[in-house]
Amino acid sequence: MAENYSFTYSFVTSQRLHLWLKISLLVLSFLIVMAASGMAQDVAVGQATATVLATLAVSSTAALAFGNVYQGVSSTIANNNASASVFTITGAASSGIMIFMALPNYVALADGSDRMTISFSSTDASVDTLGGGNPTTMAAGSGFQNINPHNFPAAAVIGAGGTTNIYLGGKVLPTIDQTAGAYTGDIILTVAYTGN
Amino acid sequence: MITKWQNFRIPIREQRLYAGLLIALILLIGNVKAGVLVAPTVVFMDEHKRTGRITVQNPSDEPREVTIRMSFGLPTSDSLGNVFVNLQDSGITDIKAATSWVKPFPRKMLLQPGATQVVRFVARPPKNLVDGEYWARVVVTSQEGITSLPNPTGEGQISTVLNMIMQTAIMLKYRQGDQIAHVKLNSVDASHEDTLVSVIVDLSSTGNASYVGLMHCRLFNADKQEIGYRRFDLAVYHDLKRRVTFPVASYKSGSPYSFELYITPNGRKDIAAEYLIRGNEIEYSTIIP
Repeated sequence: MAENYSFTYSFVTSQRLHLWLKISLLVLSFLIVMAASGMAQDVAVGQATATVLATLAVSSTAALAFGNVYQGVSSTIANNNASASVFTITGAASSGIMIFMALPNYVALADGSDRMTISFSSTDASVDTLGGGNPTTMAAGSGFQNINPHNFPAAAVIGAGGTTNIYLGGKVLPTIDQTAGAYTGDIILTVAYTGN
Repeated sequence: MITKWQNFRIPIREQRLYAGLLIALILLIGNVKAGVLVAPTVVFMDEHKRTGRITVQNPSDEPREVTIRMSFGLPTSDSLGNVFVNLQDSGITDIKAATSWVKPFPRKMLLQPGATQVVRFVARPPKNLVDGEYWARVVVTSQEGITSLPNPTGEGQISTVLNMIMQTAIMLKYRQGDQIAHVKLNSVDASHEDTLVSVIVDLSSTGNASYVGLMHCRLFNADKQEIGYRRFDLAVYHDLKRRVTFPVASYKSGSPYSFELYITPNGRKDIAAEYLIRGNEIEYSTIIP
């Protein structure tokens, strides 16, 4: 009896294993076919995908160029002068932006031995939303003209063409005993979208 | 029938290359000559994907020194409805600030002309973070890699050079659990001068995520003719007042004016649909006596 039982058990077990093997093979075959089908579908359709990303670029396209100045003689550059600084902001057309400019109070020699006063008046900046990039040809009504660079308008936007320019003038005031040499300073322009 | 054009699939590496080329094309259109370009303009991360990335590209002819730092600053407004962003590097008290637990890598790089660098962000949020959205600003600073001092053209003369340092502050949003974006209209205050109609729209976010959408504003004259239309990208994090102005020929000639407001989460093109949390819509109109 024990042997018969053992034989029956083994036979049933074997049959079940065989059945499971068949099912497994069937499932495996099905998966392979599906995978092959999927691959074939990929090949047949063919895809070229690219993700379009919104961008924001801030650049300086022209520096505020005072050139050579002389002891005791101040030098002023208006924001509509060809030597004015030009900043370019490129991004999503008509989007609201925050513009903040950190301006120096003086420029200094590289070794720090002397410094020279630089000032920016409340009319030393313009924001050109037409994005012309030329301070001498900014059209009236194309943004904000002669505004305070310490406090840019909250209504500033990137122009309809995707570009806005900032024109910046300024004034350096060398003293009568100003040390000759090359003076440097930093202007920091920060831009952020206000609508995201 | 499979044609030769159908019988290929672009590998992911090449897809990224094409995305890069697309950015380069945008650059050419935008005529960017110096500075760096940052994309995208909002970084999204969540509890399942605790990493994010931005691409920084130097399209100029000069090397650029680029630094990345985390800051904080939400669009906020004054009582006159002027919207601005105040960047805070320290002393941040907003409980929704993610500034301290999101780190960028790398933080400093020298980008050669035409070079592109991916900056990755890793979030290590505190345990038991309450469901909602948490925010930080990614500040990308660029300046010329090598600053050359000008030589005065004459002995005893003085010259100046100003280093232009550009900063781009983009938003980073980390999302935890369920998100609700909802905005409430508190009030609409309209006023007028002879040639200008001003409206201040007062809004509050009442969800646990920022409300992002569009604000459409229309002004009609007494004959129901539309005489002014303004559209704004809208992002409400806590409270926000937004001032809208309409120039008019003469107030008396067209009065009484009516103002229509429509706020909708639909229509944003700068944020992929998969990242937008659909908030509520608001429609409102009023007569300006």
